[in-house]
Amino acid sequence: MDSRGRRKVWLGGAVLLFAVAALLMFTGQGDELPPPAPEVKFPSRMRGTDFERAEKRRTWVMPTAQDAGVAAPVKPRDPLLAALPRGPGRTAVVIEANALRHSPLGELLLDCLMRDGGKNLEQFKALSGVDPLQDLDRMVITDEGLILSGDFSKARYQELLGERVSSDHGPGARVYEPGDTSIALPDGGTRRGRMDNAVGTWNDQMLVLGRNPDEVKTVLDRMDGRGPEEGPPLLDENSTYGEMYGVLAVEQLAKLLGPEQAELAQRLKDVAQNVELHLDTSGDVAMVADVRGLDEQKMTDLGKSLGGALSMARMKAQAEGNTEMAQLLDFAKVRPDGTSFKLELAVPLSAIQEQLAWCRKPAGSTPPAP
Amino acid sequence: MNPVFVIAGYVLREAASRKFILAFMVGLTLVLATVALSLKLEVVDGALAATRLFGEVVRAHITSVDVALRPIFRAAAYLVFYGGILFGIVACSDFAPGLLSPGRIEHLLALPLQRWHLLAGTFVGVMTLAVGGTVYAAGGLTLIFGVKTGYWTMGPLVAGGLACVGFAAVYAVMLTTATLVRSAALCSAAGFVLLVGGILAGFRTDVSRYLEAGFGRTSFDAVTLVLPRLSALAVGAADLASSTPLKPDSLGMLLGGVLVFGLGALAVGFWHFEGKDC
Repeated sequence: MDSRGRRKVWLGGAVLLFAVAALLMFTGQGDELPPPAPEVKFPSRMRGTDFERAEKRRTWVMPTAQDAGVAAPVKPRDPLLAALPRGPGRTAVVIEANALRHSPLGELLLDCLMRDGGKNLEQFKALSGVDPLQDLDRMVITDEGLILSGDFSKARYQELLGERVSSDHGPGARVYEPGDTSIALPDGGTRRGRMDNAVGTWNDQMLVLGRNPDEVKTVLDRMDGRGPEEGPPLLDENSTYGEMYGVLAVEQLAKLLGPEQAELAQRLKDVAQNVELHLDTSGDVAMVADVRGLDEQKMTDLGKSLGGALSMARMKAQAEGNTEMAQLLDFAKVRPDGTSFKLELAVPLSAIQEQLAWCRKPAGSTPPAP
Repeated sequence: MNPVFVIAGYVLREAASRKFILAFMVGLTLVLATVALSLKLEVVDGALAATRLFGEVVRAHITSVDVALRPIFRAAAYLVFYGGILFGIVACSDFAPGLLSPGRIEHLLALPLQRWHLLAGTFVGVMTLAVGGTVYAAGGLTLIFGVKTGYWTMGPLVAGGLACVGFAAVYAVMLTTATLVRSAALCSAAGFVLLVGGILAGFRTDVSRYLEAGFGRTSFDAVTLVLPRLSALAVGAADLASSTPLKPDSLGMLLGGVLVFGLGALAVGFWHFEGKDC
């Protein structure tokens, strides 16, 4: 081939190559904007809405002892926080039922709850007079029992608990002892049963469930500032952020770790004092656990062990091809801070959606095996 | 021996004699040695538990070692990609003009080789230099972090390979420019313009949205459709280096596109040089 011929080939080849390059690059990258990178917001402090919520809940003025002196002005408090246990080794986990119900996770859980078309919920509403989706504000799980707060003005206490032995316990409070319960059915009949829990009611705002009347009375006494327990409640107002928050006794947490992590559970019991939890469900589900202890070195070592355990779990998930779990554990980290450390864990909402997809299927289909 | 490799060897000998390139290699070695000697990483069960730099504890969280190293490998990938291309533009800009300079070109053309062999040889020589430098930098980094953490990944090396493909497209344009004007400065300028154009091409969808609809936006879309999408390739390299999942099949096409663009630019150079009266 002569020089002119070669030039034609080079030029033709160049044009063809540029065209192929443009096509390849266009196909490879496309012209669609990439989706934003996943970002998880970990609950780390009170935000504006949390402060507003806390402010609105300061409705309860604790009664003070009258004497001849000038009474100092008493600030209104959140009655639920006042009712929480005091002292180390206690557990109180608050679930913001109303906030959770209106979160993406709450919507998913509601789908599961309403698979029967809401029949059970309607039945419960008809029997109790309480609509959990509207009237329930918060639910607290403590080592003594359960505290529910909200608007219980329409609750049918008399019909539900009327047959039990009950007594007044301070202003606005009533305690019902364990006993028989009769429930009027929609068809006109009555269903009788027995409830082994004592129940306390307070100003149509709070329901306290305990194993016995004394436990219920203790909770009600704490609210009124009576009771033998001293010190501040487990949670103060500045810790009321997230859709779920609270303090977990180390023993309780160690039990949750299960037999596979027995060594870690023991170290946790030996070193840590308490664990404060915060869960945010406003987008992806993000959890922060603030683990506090006394010895800086031991806490740092515990943080490293925990970080190692999470890393091993992630590697195991990767090795077993469980990419979903591996991706979840990508967000797991431990942030050491002197005598405490923060453990951060997150679950993308999409993963929960996938797990709860069966809830959107018609009733009758069974949930997948765990 | 193939005349292309003869010319490539000639270019490499030329490079070896340059103090600028030698100084770069020494500098790179010092940086790698400093990182290796000053950085202490404590790994517990696959989690990066503590980091010490020059003996000082770096406050950081405890997380899986590969997750912890992601930002480092990501930053290194960008540094190798853009830093490598920039250094290549500056350091290699006068190879081709020097080879095509009066006196030397006549001597080379007297040898039993075709004109395109000269350009192809220069291209192969420079790319050998680029690949060597990239393997040294990315490989050194992988080795250091691999030994210190026990986490071994090919990510940074593959990302370095992608950077070489990006530089190949840029250098092909520089080489073609050298056939038009024997000026190292203009070759560099052409390289810089393509680099900037390539960065814009990678973000063409974002940039295009901010342009007023009409001739300007259409022209921008048309030009950047052909330009190598270097920034997109850099993002892909960083994703690879940090083991971030990629969109399926996207990187291969992009990489192929940039490589084919480079060959196209080289073909233009061959076409022009073939008809040039030296």
